[in-house]
Amino acid sequence: MAVDESDRTFAHPVYDFMMRVPGLDIMTTTVDKVLTYSSEASLWIFPVATSCCGIEFMAMAASRVDVDRMGAIVRGSPRHSDVMMVAGTITVKMAPRVKKLWDQMPEPKWAIAVGSCAISGDFYRDIYSVIPGIDTFIPVDVYVPGCPPNPEAMMHGLLRLQEKIRSVRDGSWREREQRPQPVQYQRLPRLPIYNDPARSPLLNRQQIASAASLGWWDELNLDVALAKAAQDIGDAEPDASAAEPSERQSDSAESTSGEDPRARRNS
Amino acid sequence: MTILGQVPSERCQALLRDRFEPRDCDTGGPPLVAVARHVELATTLRDELGYRIFGFVVAAHYPASKSQEDGVDQIRIAYGLRTVGPSSELAAWQVQVALGETVPTLAHLFAGADWQEREQYDLVGVRFEGHPDLRRLMLPEDWEGHPLRKDYAIDTQVPPWR
Repeated sequence: MAVDESDRTFAHPVYDFMMRVPGLDIMTTTVDKVLTYSSEASLWIFPVATSCCGIEFMAMAASRVDVDRMGAIVRGSPRHSDVMMVAGTITVKMAPRVKKLWDQMPEPKWAIAVGSCAISGDFYRDIYSVIPGIDTFIPVDVYVPGCPPNPEAMMHGLLRLQEKIRSVRDGSWREREQRPQPVQYQRLPRLPIYNDPARSPLLNRQQIASAASLGWWDELNLDVALAKAAQDIGDAEPDASAAEPSERQSDSAESTSGEDPRARRNS
Repeated sequence: MTILGQVPSERCQALLRDRFEPRDCDTGGPPLVAVARHVELATTLRDELGYRIFGFVVAAHYPASKSQEDGVDQIRIAYGLRTVGPSSELAAWQVQVALGETVPTLAHLFAGADWQEREQYDLVGVRFEGHPDLRRLMLPEDWEGHPLRKDYAIDTQVPPWR
């Protein structure tokens, strides 16, 4: 049965606005805005998917997340593409190939580093054959962190790239002067909290003794720590439990919970 | 002869023990076979006992301080062959050479040995004598050194990348 659509008008906000205003049947804009709209709404992706981030990349291109909604489709040729998404670890042997593919892409072009390995090398950073981040040889516009990032995160990276394209075109983009310095994450291990009721005092003592054998703690007075551990062993016996409540109270001030579970147990 | 997985037949074990005289390895693992009998052993396993699949070849570098022969760097190469079909058996053995000596290749017996031996040449620096095409496989062609040797510094500079 054919549907009669003759009484249905074409409804679009812009079209409606143009129809309402008399004389406005042509809209004018700048060439710059048209170019911006064109380039941000048709970002064709060239994938360099070398490891597990590539699997998430496939999920990003597939139907559940579907970056095709943003006009981003995945192409197999760098000559058709606008965005290179590097998803995965890049090795010393792979890097010249990636650079060659990047050089084959026509301007304007952008690069997205997907995942920790493409950003910094992550825990493969110190290996002899791994590049510590792809921004050592191609200019990266958007970094998508994660190991691997969600497909939604990759889509968000694409949206941030669209934001960047817009802001570069209208002049509001501010380039960061230099890459932030890496943070030193390594810290010395901490001693355990002594008033944990689930922890055996004997275990505390063994841990302190093994820590002392390493010789790492200059600032820690190990004699005091060992004496405290010895006192914990004394506390485990019922006779010595009520001996020095004030000292235990001062010990509990160091605990993160603020409440001394050992004092509650002994009362 | 160490056979992992399925226990091989008595006949097979006796044949290999009598003919090739393997000796136990001090670090555990498959027994050591003399380099001179190495190709003959692989040929026997392939043609007479049905081990037609080339499983693996793995080389390890033992520096002079850790090796049995004092003062000489050693390279131990472990080989593994498998039988075809379900309940596949694995036959594994090792050969040991001093650093810089060559090992006869198995590439003319097994097509699968070709690239695996190239990989071991690339990473550990074992020279396989008679290999048809002994080039680097994993690393760039102009790479210097063999990174899985124990004396390879972990922070070796690879210009211009790092």
